[in-house]
Amino acid sequence: MLLQQIITGISIGGIYALLATGYSLIYSLLDFSNWSHGEFAMVGAYVAIVFSNILGTPFVIAAVMGVLGGACISFLSERVVYRRIRSTGGPNMFLMIGAMGMSNVFQQAANLIFTGQYRSYSFKLPVSTIEVGGAYIGVLDLISLGITAVILVVLIYLINKTKFGLNVRAIACNQKAARVLGIRVDQSIATVFLLAGSLAGAAGILYGMKYNVFPTMGNVGLKAFIASVIGGLGSVPGAIVGAVLLGVLETLVSAYISSSLRDFFSFALLIVLLLVKPSGLFGVDVQEKA
Amino acid sequence: MKKALALLLAMVMIFALAACGQQAAAPAAAPAAAPAGDAPAAAPAAAEPEVIKIGYVSDLTGGTSLWGNAGKYGAEMAVEEINAAGGVLGKQLVLVAMDGKGEAADSVNALRKLITDEGIVAEIGTNFSSCNIPMAAVADELKVPIIGTAASNELVTVDENGKLHPYSFRMCFIDSYLGTVMGTYATKELGFTKAALFTVAGNTNSESVGAFVKDAFVANGGTIVAEEQCQEADVDFRAQLAKIKAADPEVIFVMMNDYAKNATFAKQAREMGINCLLMGHDGWDSQQLAAEAQGALEGCKYVSRIGFSKPEAKEFGEKVAAKYNIGMEAECLFGWDGVHWIVDAINRAGSADPTAIRDALEATDVFEGLIGTLVMDPATHNPAMACAIYECHGDAFEYVETVEAVQ
Repeated sequence: MLLQQIITGISIGGIYALLATGYSLIYSLLDFSNWSHGEFAMVGAYVAIVFSNILGTPFVIAAVMGVLGGACISFLSERVVYRRIRSTGGPNMFLMIGAMGMSNVFQQAANLIFTGQYRSYSFKLPVSTIEVGGAYIGVLDLISLGITAVILVVLIYLINKTKFGLNVRAIACNQKAARVLGIRVDQSIATVFLLAGSLAGAAGILYGMKYNVFPTMGNVGLKAFIASVIGGLGSVPGAIVGAVLLGVLETLVSAYISSSLRDFFSFALLIVLLLVKPSGLFGVDVQEKA
Repeated sequence: MKKALALLLAMVMIFALAACGQQAAAPAAAPAAAPAGDAPAAAPAAAEPEVIKIGYVSDLTGGTSLWGNAGKYGAEMAVEEINAAGGVLGKQLVLVAMDGKGEAADSVNALRKLITDEGIVAEIGTNFSSCNIPMAAVADELKVPIIGTAASNELVTVDENGKLHPYSFRMCFIDSYLGTVMGTYATKELGFTKAALFTVAGNTNSESVGAFVKDAFVANGGTIVAEEQCQEADVDFRAQLAKIKAADPEVIFVMMNDYAKNATFAKQAREMGINCLLMGHDGWDSQQLAAEAQGALEGCKYVSRIGFSKPEAKEFGEKVAAKYNIGMEAECLFGWDGVHWIVDAINRAGSADPTAIRDALEATDVFEGLIGTLVMDPATHNPAMACAIYECHGDAFEYVETVEAVQ
């Protein structure tokens, strides 16, 4: 049973990871937690619903549009809200309040447009599993984990091996110095929002395929935030490890202690980490953000 | 500057006039506004209302709005039909619906607003015990009868001390009745001896029916080999399912009130190699469940009201589905029955006074509704009703048989 629980935990952690990396990327650049990040996932999931269920496009196209939808809403929120707040030189708290406001607006808008009803994609994978040593892995889980792994590898490559990644790391390190050195800071930040939004869109579609699409599905973003704190806010590899650890921890608590205490343990872990090791498990200092 | 000031003053005057107009109009439509204590003194207290207002509270925007809206549509169609036939006591009926969001606080506020601001004479809804339990106290306080639809917890009509809420009624069987039927049917008819119970922590209906299923199953010689819970917002049940699998039950009683979650539960169970029968209560009562489960519920059963297995109920459900472009949802039958039961009470009382309606509702011998035949117990306000077993075949649940509770 332990193996089964760990597999389940990893599959839940995979979704957290896609969202947690987005949190980390944005935190590393702007030093604030983008509370509306979970809602970008929700928007992506609904865009895919519109294309697949209403317009009747093939699911691959709907999924691509969903990812683009997540990217667009993330990009627009940066251009319309965050950039303006940054340009007025207000404290980072304003960015966080703006994010909370947007999170609410997106949820309410989804409620108004699509109602609170659960929706599922008209494209459905058959309910099938693969047995490994007495434990079962759903085919959808395997596909979802595979897609997540590929996306995250590409993301880590982008951050560490490309000029764009170098720019992002430079901005994360010192925004003013980066600007002086000729890095186009606003453009890089906008690109990061596009990237984080696409990851969120992909997470939203995978989440929707597993658990349906509904207006409050973005609340899973809170778990992704905890995951990114566990891993070390601002560290992309840390966010991935934190997400998988949180997924496994939640599953084990539900299985061996009580599902009612699952969130208690998640948040308790968050508080303990903030007290004992606020920089997270990966302990990144500011030089190594992103 | 002067122009701007003049414009501002003009706007203030228009708003003031509009506000006065509203205040004067309110009591004409809502004579029962008196309990609020804030009705304007100048209002003509004896003004006879032109219409009879019936309230409706349910989840109209949240995750279970499918049911809330289906109930509203059923009630709207009943009101339209009654008005077309001349209304009640020579007056037209008006249905005033408010969103309770499936939450206790919102539902209580909506009921209070309907009574004090709208002047309703009776209210239908909600379908949740967790909402109707606190609403019952408000109904007693403001002396307007309310009728829960699928709110099946005992405390909806009587308080913890067994004292009747005089203004609270319901149209469904209670948790103990449904739970006892389920537990007994699983042992006596299906021959199961080992069961797992899955409930939602903190959900009154889920935990309450679950407890009665367990009692009846054990009383008939069965054993509950695993008892697991999830939280209301959960969508992944695999941690609990792994434990249930290890206990090797013959049947899992799944007490969740949401078709999408029940479908997800079934799919996750099958993915984990759990192939036993799943059995549910009236929270499974949705036409979308079978298709959503993609075959994971094949042969599985649930116990609920007779509903659409009656031809006239099916015909009405099809009409609602066609008119409002929704699936066949049994909740529309409650909306229809609620309006007709209140109208029946008004006609018998010869008055649309809320207390007279309450007395007539309580004195109901038999009410023939679409949902079934309802026989009221004046001591508890609980109706006695038969219930039905449904079984999943392909993309739909089909009626199997009718059973009475075995006490």
